[in-house]
Amino acid sequence: MASQMKDVEIPEKALKELLLSKHADYIGAYGTKKDDYEYVMTEYLRMNGIYWGLTAMDLMNQLDRMNKEEVIGFIKQCQHESGGIACSVGHDPHLLCTLSAIQILTLYDAQDAVNTEKVIEWVRSLQQDNGCFYGDKWGEVDTRFSFCAVACLSLLGKLDCINIDKAVEFVVSCMNYDGGFGCRPGSETHAGQVYCCVGMLAITGCLHYIDADLLGWWLCERQLPSGGLNGRPEKLPDVCYSWWVLASLKIIDRLHWIDKDSLIAFILASQDDETGGFADRPGDMVDPFHTLFGLCGLSLLGNKSVKAINPVFCMPEETMQRIGIQLDLL
Amino acid sequence: MHGRLKVRTTAEQQEAKRVEREKKLKIYTGATKKAFEKRNNREFDEEALKITGEILAVNPDFYSLWNFRKEIFNDFKEKRPKEELDKAFQDELYFLETCLKVNPKSYGTWHHRSFVMETMPTPDWKREIKLCNTFLQYDERNFHCWDYRRFVVGKASISAAEEFEFTTEKIANNFSDYSSWHYRSKLLPILHPDKTHPSGVNEEILLKEFETVQNAFFTDPNDQSAWFYHRWLLGRHQRNLEINTMFVSRKDRRVMVTTTKPVMIDCNNPVALKINDKEVKVEWRNQKSQRKYSTLWLADNVLVPDGSINIQVLMDTHRISQLLSLKSDESESLFTLPFKEGNRFSYELTSSTSETLQRELEAIVELYEIEPDNKWVILTLMSLMKSLDPLKYEQEILQQISHLQNLDPKRKTYYDDLRSKILVENTLEAFELNQQCLDLSDKKLTVLYHTSLLPFISELHLEGNQLVNLKNFEFLQCLKNLILDSNKICDINGLRGLNSLEKLSLKDNLIQDVNDLKVLQTCPNLNTLNIKGNTVCSEDKSLNELRQLLPGVSITS
Repeated sequence: MASQMKDVEIPEKALKELLLSKHADYIGAYGTKKDDYEYVMTEYLRMNGIYWGLTAMDLMNQLDRMNKEEVIGFIKQCQHESGGIACSVGHDPHLLCTLSAIQILTLYDAQDAVNTEKVIEWVRSLQQDNGCFYGDKWGEVDTRFSFCAVACLSLLGKLDCINIDKAVEFVVSCMNYDGGFGCRPGSETHAGQVYCCVGMLAITGCLHYIDADLLGWWLCERQLPSGGLNGRPEKLPDVCYSWWVLASLKIIDRLHWIDKDSLIAFILASQDDETGGFADRPGDMVDPFHTLFGLCGLSLLGNKSVKAINPVFCMPEETMQRIGIQLDLL
Repeated sequence: MHGRLKVRTTAEQQEAKRVEREKKLKIYTGATKKAFEKRNNREFDEEALKITGEILAVNPDFYSLWNFRKEIFNDFKEKRPKEELDKAFQDELYFLETCLKVNPKSYGTWHHRSFVMETMPTPDWKREIKLCNTFLQYDERNFHCWDYRRFVVGKASISAAEEFEFTTEKIANNFSDYSSWHYRSKLLPILHPDKTHPSGVNEEILLKEFETVQNAFFTDPNDQSAWFYHRWLLGRHQRNLEINTMFVSRKDRRVMVTTTKPVMIDCNNPVALKINDKEVKVEWRNQKSQRKYSTLWLADNVLVPDGSINIQVLMDTHRISQLLSLKSDESESLFTLPFKEGNRFSYELTSSTSETLQRELEAIVELYEIEPDNKWVILTLMSLMKSLDPLKYEQEILQQISHLQNLDPKRKTYYDDLRSKILVENTLEAFELNQQCLDLSDKKLTVLYHTSLLPFISELHLEGNQLVNLKNFEFLQCLKNLILDSNKICDINGLRGLNSLEKLSLKDNLIQDVNDLKVLQTCPNLNTLNIKGNTVCSEDKSLNELRQLLPGVSITS
């Protein structure tokens, strides 16, 4: 019963150049066909989608092609009475979309477009006695929400309004024997969750809780013979882990444990030269999510044709400098 | 959107798909509109369930509609008679099951199921365990289902022993079930706790686990799941918080303390300094002078009186303290926590007893003879040798690292850093912390580990290594003379604020720009700098700039 390595093969004729202008055209056109099937079906992700698109455009220095007024107007309409922000007009507020909205407004230097005091109060209200955060009033608990909460409050300059010690204690209680983190205490390690928890500990100045060598080893073991990264052992590679894994490694100062050249080749092979954009792996359908994380991965790997990305907030470094957030990483 | 293969289609096919999608879309948007209308009108009824159900069946991540259904059920609970209510909840569970069959990885669906179970009057938790069994049979790595299972286990008062048995079955079925191994690591300390044991788990049970996991990797040594678990079984000793070293200097009017784990000193976590039992007011700072956790804290400008004195540091919030005496003829004094040679770093992997480690080593050696090129076998072999006797096995470990770099080139730099760590640790095993000079030259070090143990050294030789930066050199607070010749250094920001540094030799490195040397302005006692053999020297203009930046420093270029 020998295990077979799950991986993909990169075709010989795979793309080796970064098709920046095609990606910019792809993202630029994405929101213009508002009655497109895909577009309508993903309305529950709209705010995240806009954040992915705008950040991708900014990394390519093309943010001015997007309709700033329309986006800001949309976000205003998405703020709920409670203070939380929904993914789209008429939908319910949730931490996942609230963080995206605050990231977009920060990118545009327009935080004041929403009632930030109410946002802060709403985020604060989601913290529970054991330090964890609900995603919304319905009570789902997940370390992703711990990240969203502290990232959001940090961008708004109000991190001290929550019980930081308790919040950290909860995240640390989700640490596992492989050095990684899961959704809740007892949950299995997952690279996406690792990013959230490592990012959360970076924002709160508590990276010393991490066993960087142990976690770094688990993370660099995510790299497969194809060069791509998976998110858990025995899983297929996926371009989005070029973000979750690489950003985590960058935060704990172990990014150099990845074989850069083969990962770059994997990311580039996941581009689509007809439509523009990146897919999860070579030969699949593209989407804005993988397009952003493909570009972010390339940025962390040192590609100078995209802007430098901040590994904690997944926003351009220049934006972080503008708002004066400088985290001390490992 | 994952794993959707791009399929080439003809224009005809595309048109047919477009027409079909247009039709679907019309129905979908109509239904969505209707659902939101009903919600706004607070129409909590069967029709609302039907409409939202149709949408969620195709789009289970539409979270606002799950929320609407929760509102409907909360309303039912208040208004409906028991029988009707029971039926509605049962129908909801059935509906959720059909949704999970289509998409077993939707956060929203699983969370709604936990809401329903917690809200319904008579939940059947045992049935939920069976549902989890079924879904874990389809996919044993579905973490949503595992997490739901743990939620149910808590509610149904299912014992850790039963769950442990479940993972045994899963693993027997498939050794590479990482999720089940993970779960065992959480269950064992609950089932067989032993506070006196470094792993927190009873020794006899550990021995049985070793057998299980050996069985797995002897069957398939390429399967990483079992190896990660094995590494955990070998243990990772949690160090207690203690004062590792304490140092006082009469001349520098300085007190330094290092701890075994990072601590914070601020107004919420004050640390008292007493000289001859009288509290002295001091300001503590860490090596970076930032408000952050550290293992090193210093107080400068301490009024140390003449004559023999006692100095005490009290960390009240952590209930630890240390006393140190300084005799009248002494200019400085140092306390260091005793350790056994060869054991300074063995906390990283200390199981139980060395007999257990020895026995494991024998088993792995046996496997190594059959599988000499298996990286997991070699990695485990190395960590066992390192734990048992790092100095005795040094040469063998270093050879194995080179072997691993050939077998597993993707992780070459990881192994480089591992080698560097082992070499530094082995040097420090035989190093007394009160020695002034440490020689780590010509060791091919790619990184310098454990600088936090070296705040007292005054001379450090690192020439002939492969360092690229000076991360964590801020810990070297007493360092006067630093020799870094013939490395690959392009970033020296780690020297920020090294007050004691007097001589720095950076000959033959990769410093390109004057700005890269600007950080030396923060080293007030620097008087000698050698930057010969760096590209920054190739222009006279740069050198002039540098002399202006660092007046009073004698520069060799």
